[in-house]
Amino acid sequence: MEGVSTEKYVKTATRHTEPQGIIKNLFWNQQQKIAPYLFIAPFYLLFVIFMGYPLISSLVMSLYEMRGFQSRIFVGIGNFTDLFRDPIFWKSLKNTSYFAVGTLTLQLPIALLLAILLNSKFVRGKNILRLAFFAPVLVAGVFVAIIFNLVYDQRAGLVNQEFVLFGKEIGWLNEEKYVMPAVILTGVWQWAGFNMIYFLAGLQGIRQELYEAAAVDGASWWQAFIHVTLPSLRPVIAFVFVVSMIGSLQLFDLPFILTNGGEPADAGSTIVMYLYKNGFQFMRLGYAATIGWVLFFIIAVISIVQLKLLGIFRDE
Amino acid sequence: MFRLPFDSESFPLGKGPMVMLILFLVSTLFIFGRSEETGEKLEFWIFANTHYEEYQARVPIFEAQNPGVNVQLINFGGTMHDKLLAAMLSNFGAPDLVEVEITSIGRFLKGAIDEVGFVDLRPRLESEGWMEKLVVSRFTPWSYRGKIFGIPHDLHPVVLLYRDDLFKAAGVEMTEIETWDDFIAAGKKATRDLDGDGEIDQYALVLDRRTESDYFSLLLQQGGGFFDEEGNVIIDSELAIETLEFFTALFNEHKIATPVYGTWHGDPSNFAAMQDGKILSILSPDWYVGILKSQVPQMSGKWKAISMPAWHPGGRRTTTRGGTMIGITKQSKNPDLAWEVLKFTYFDRPGLINRYETTRIIPPLKSAWDAPIFKEPDAYLGGQPLGELLIELAPDMPPRYQNPYWSEGADLLNDAIFAAVTEKQTPREALTDLAEKVRALIAKDRGRWGDM
Repeated sequence: MEGVSTEKYVKTATRHTEPQGIIKNLFWNQQQKIAPYLFIAPFYLLFVIFMGYPLISSLVMSLYEMRGFQSRIFVGIGNFTDLFRDPIFWKSLKNTSYFAVGTLTLQLPIALLLAILLNSKFVRGKNILRLAFFAPVLVAGVFVAIIFNLVYDQRAGLVNQEFVLFGKEIGWLNEEKYVMPAVILTGVWQWAGFNMIYFLAGLQGIRQELYEAAAVDGASWWQAFIHVTLPSLRPVIAFVFVVSMIGSLQLFDLPFILTNGGEPADAGSTIVMYLYKNGFQFMRLGYAATIGWVLFFIIAVISIVQLKLLGIFRDE
Repeated sequence: MFRLPFDSESFPLGKGPMVMLILFLVSTLFIFGRSEETGEKLEFWIFANTHYEEYQARVPIFEAQNPGVNVQLINFGGTMHDKLLAAMLSNFGAPDLVEVEITSIGRFLKGAIDEVGFVDLRPRLESEGWMEKLVVSRFTPWSYRGKIFGIPHDLHPVVLLYRDDLFKAAGVEMTEIETWDDFIAAGKKATRDLDGDGEIDQYALVLDRRTESDYFSLLLQQGGGFFDEEGNVIIDSELAIETLEFFTALFNEHKIATPVYGTWHGDPSNFAAMQDGKILSILSPDWYVGILKSQVPQMSGKWKAISMPAWHPGGRRTTTRGGTMIGITKQSKNPDLAWEVLKFTYFDRPGLINRYETTRIIPPLKSAWDAPIFKEPDAYLGGQPLGELLIELAPDMPPRYQNPYWSEGADLLNDAIFAAVTEKQTPREALTDLAEKVRALIAKDRGRWGDM
């Protein structure tokens, strides 16, 4: 191949030695250098327009506050100092962290367990089960929220039907203390199957010889799990952990629809919901941009710490 | 065989990219080369499905009467207000006509009054004599600093819907109720544990303690509000505190009210509780009757309506909740034509009668009220002519003053009500804190850019 293209190149170059072909000749001479940049240009162009510009623009915006629709006023770090004194922001941060911790401690172990079960040779109908567990991801978040509104229905909901045994109608979406648990459980239903797929892929990538060697050494199932499965899954666990954490911190649509805007008493309010309310409902775009940047720093710091702790930066 | 006029193989990078390029050029020609439609075009944004359906039927009539005019209706649903906000911020892409919901309009009034994105309709209303023909108190939600930015779509008077059968079974004749004191006495009889298991099986009233909806309706009935006409915060007035004390007492002292089931009055959970006979009455604006009819048709004949109980004998027997306006944006290139479409959809008698038929919404145009349909018996209310009652109450509706800080205020008011009902704060503490917060917010903005 190399020979052919060089030959063609030489041919092309010699064909245009006359003066009118000099520019064209120059282009063809340079094309191998230019071509890669042209190929990646669409991405960078779109990135600059749809990511770079808005990012910079929102950073600038966080230093201003809108004065109606047409003008704005410079407030410096005023929005940041306001935010750190804003009790609803802290409550939203607390709720978001609650969700994130709930997701990591409840959803990921369930996802891993499902993956192990579906990877075991003793389970039948794996394909159907895999589809069944994965299916909730295909449902848009808005519909999930609407469905779970019925599931948590105080009078006739599925969850309270089970609780009839205790003779109590729990207002899952009506009492402060139950709101976030209800959101977390919905998140488990929606995303456990998705994370299960990652774990399953990870499990299938573990070499069988490792288990055989462990068996030869007399390791029990549990010992094999602790000393073979988990260490081999480390990169997958790290990935799922970080991605789930980022997703959790960006939680918005589920509680917004499930609780009809975060009520009662902001028990369902999250950081992104508070950002949305400030930007679109209160027309405080500078403040909303500030919340966005604070969230960005929170996510960046947590992700780096997580990746460090999980040893992703370590050389294998 | 068909042959291209050039060798497709010599095209840089081969056939595939060539086909893509041709498709790109053809579609570009198709998009930009389309001949401009002749005549005048108007864009009309809507967020409510029922309104959209109504105008879909009405607009062709307008177009037939005005040849060459093309009105494009776009129903964006709940996200419409955000799209409008973006269009107004970027000063590009807003429609000619738009409907805005009452709790959303505040944010559009922020900033200098001359920078508001809607056309002031007061001159047109006054010069054409429409002010006298409409319910004037209903302009307050859509007005700010003397300018009228929208025409009311509705009045939304509130009545008390009740289960006549269940109140009668408890020995209560609801038509004799005149004041809230009467209602509390009746409610205590009707709120009962029917099977003796120690749990209340039926509550006299259902109230929303998660949001401002019911409390604010009661406060308006009293003649109070969150802001006064000049934009001052009055949510910590004695009237507001007394009303919240009354509201919390219905739950905690008299124990005749149950919190709404689910997240709002229109939640399936709430409908289920109604069907189980757990809820005996509800404060209902006209539109809520429309929702009940469509969502729980099986309860037809079970409800009846009376005027709301008054705070004092002879006092106001109604309030208002919810609402929509129509406005003309300043981005409209043809505000005169937009005004004609507005009048056709909002002030045309046959259209308004049709609206009542489908949604039970009473129009603000007084001259439409004598139409026979408003006197017709309503099967859903066991033959009671609901329209007659609503029209009787409409002139007495309280004003609701609009303010750019309504959204922030309402969000905090929700928390204050919940804190008072769950006894985390006294009503006085909750409302005083709330008023301080909103005043501080306004003071901060004024400190930054002066009074506007």
